[in-house]
Amino acid sequence: MIDSFYLATRYLLFHRVRSVTVVACLVLVAALPIGLERILAESERQLMARADTTPLLLGSKGSSLDLVMSAVYFGGQTPDPISLAEIERIEEADLAYAIPIHMGFSARGAPIVGTSVDYLDYRELTVAHGRSFTILGESVLGAGVAKRLGLSPGDSLTSSPESFFDLAGAYPLKTKVVGVLEPSGGPDDLAVFVDLKTAWVMQGIGHGHQDLTRVQDPTLVIDRDEKKVVGSAKVVEYQEITDSNRDSFHFHGEPASFPVSAALVVPEDERAGTLLLGRFVDGSLGGQLIRPRAIVGDLMTTIFRIKEVLDLAVAIVGTAAILALVLVFSLSFRLREKELRTNFEIGSSLGTTARLLAAELMLLAAASAVCVAGVLFVLDRFSATIVRGLFVT
Amino acid sequence: MQRVIGSLRLVALIAVAGNALMPTPSVAEMSVYTVNYPLAYFAERIGGDAVTVHFPAPPGIDPAFWMPDPEVIGAYQAADLILLNGAGYAKWIGQASLPRRKLVDTSRSFRDAYLPGEKTPVHQHGPTGDHTHGQIAFTTWLDPKQAIEQARSIEAALVKQDAEHAASFARGADALVADLEELDRDLEAVFAAIEGESLLASHPVYSYLARRYGLDLRSLTWEPDADPGESGWQALDALLAARPARWMLWEARPLDSTTAKLDARGVGVVVFEVGVNRPDAGDFLSMMRDDLEALNRALGLR
Repeated sequence: MIDSFYLATRYLLFHRVRSVTVVACLVLVAALPIGLERILAESERQLMARADTTPLLLGSKGSSLDLVMSAVYFGGQTPDPISLAEIERIEEADLAYAIPIHMGFSARGAPIVGTSVDYLDYRELTVAHGRSFTILGESVLGAGVAKRLGLSPGDSLTSSPESFFDLAGAYPLKTKVVGVLEPSGGPDDLAVFVDLKTAWVMQGIGHGHQDLTRVQDPTLVIDRDEKKVVGSAKVVEYQEITDSNRDSFHFHGEPASFPVSAALVVPEDERAGTLLLGRFVDGSLGGQLIRPRAIVGDLMTTIFRIKEVLDLAVAIVGTAAILALVLVFSLSFRLREKELRTNFEIGSSLGTTARLLAAELMLLAAASAVCVAGVLFVLDRFSATIVRGLFVT
Repeated sequence: MQRVIGSLRLVALIAVAGNALMPTPSVAEMSVYTVNYPLAYFAERIGGDAVTVHFPAPPGIDPAFWMPDPEVIGAYQAADLILLNGAGYAKWIGQASLPRRKLVDTSRSFRDAYLPGEKTPVHQHGPTGDHTHGQIAFTTWLDPKQAIEQARSIEAALVKQDAEHAASFARGADALVADLEELDRDLEAVFAAIEGESLLASHPVYSYLARRYGLDLRSLTWEPDADPGESGWQALDALLAARPARWMLWEARPLDSTTAKLDARGVGVVVFEVGVNRPDAGDFLSMMRDDLEALNRALGLR
């Protein structure tokens, strides 16, 4: 048998292009479905891990999936806002605490997340360089953002205008980068974090300008009496919050009416979470309160149903590929008829010839198996990084 | 061999003795940060040894208008609890990033009863645009009834954070409430003696005191370390002409020249400290007792 393997090896090496092609086909047919399965499983694991660490999510009525994708994964469509009052109602129930999330703005391609420092504590995000934000106008960068933009503490980052066509909309705000977070391997690496109040300034709900009660330029004031000063449209709002103008920043309106995109709700325990969910079902509280795990689970179920169709397609293609290979081998044997007859005439028995051909097939199969094992080993080792690279960075 | 055994015994003895001498690790104390001294005092009285209270505003600076640096705000962020006064107290709160779940608004239970503060002009953007609102009076603790509600709010927050010491917190709160109720009775008695009389105040910080005891209190905006100037004295004369007053409440002793001019107008100075900063000697309650004593002396009741 060893002689057969020797001859088979020499034959396959002589026809190396053909041999590599056959091995590649076999590897693709075998590794593709298994590899897809592994990548999907890792994607599910990462998605569910993120969803699992978000017990409840509060948002406006509407698409639950949009709410989750925006507030948990910082992607997709920004949902309709809720008011801060709705978050306060959750807190007054004394069953949970809520972490506000404000979305809708970006800075050089990175989403800006307006929130409180509770978010960094809850997600266990630690600062690698600098410090956390402490005051209006400061920002902290995810590790991926800092690396991509080449920014570090002390630099500045300006928010992008909401729309180039909305001349009366929110103006860009220049923030001071005070910290960069440690890599977390998730969506937080790609986000810019600011205090919720800074996000409101970006939205135009808060702003800073000269003290209208003290300006001398008459064109800045429409009307003035001892109780009220009415400013004109000429009053310029500051586009950067500095130590010298921070005191001038203020908000118009009741804070309870100010908008947030969503809130992470962290109940005291499972019972408290159930009670809170019940209050939304019975309508005593507005908006919707959802379990991200359930929404992502439904999404994965849908994805896996689609995957079943893809698996069937892959199976059909794989079967076709194998049938094609069988056809290739049978045609190859026919083409080698003269060679096989020569073997017989020089004394090789039918059994020996059969062993030779079997050895070729076994070597091809063994080589394919080794390659498939190698591919799967690499996938297993680096699947987390691959998924993050495909979907996160 | 005996030497070896003896050495081993000595080593074992030293190890046991060393272990016994090691201090037993204590239970971690709760770290509480406050925005003014009255809240710090309440937290100290209620929390006792189970709580470490921090009030980092420098002495001599009005905490309502103090702006802490990032390191101090970082210390607030790391606290277990942050006690806020509410009513817009401490301007820096509106600009700082503090963890929501650690914030305790101690006057939330009576927020519907806030009074308007110092009248300052508001501004508006355009004839129909956004506008700011006037200020709210924030010296809520000067009404002992409100101070009691704030103390109970602090007690509830401490118990929620550390249920093991609930009984101790309750004892501390009850004792504090008893002292505040006694202060309330004594203040009520003093102000009852001058019922119907008008009072003046150097600054509009006594609104809640006035409401609690039904005082006819009119406020100016004078600083103790500066002469109010001609316009200030004219404003005072106008007030006195409309309704005479025999006493003026001050947060701190005014200049001797101011005292003399007030005396010439028949207005006596009564120093009634508001208590926003930790005193050099004594505590919040002793400060309030001193204020009560000053009232008694001024009104000729003692």
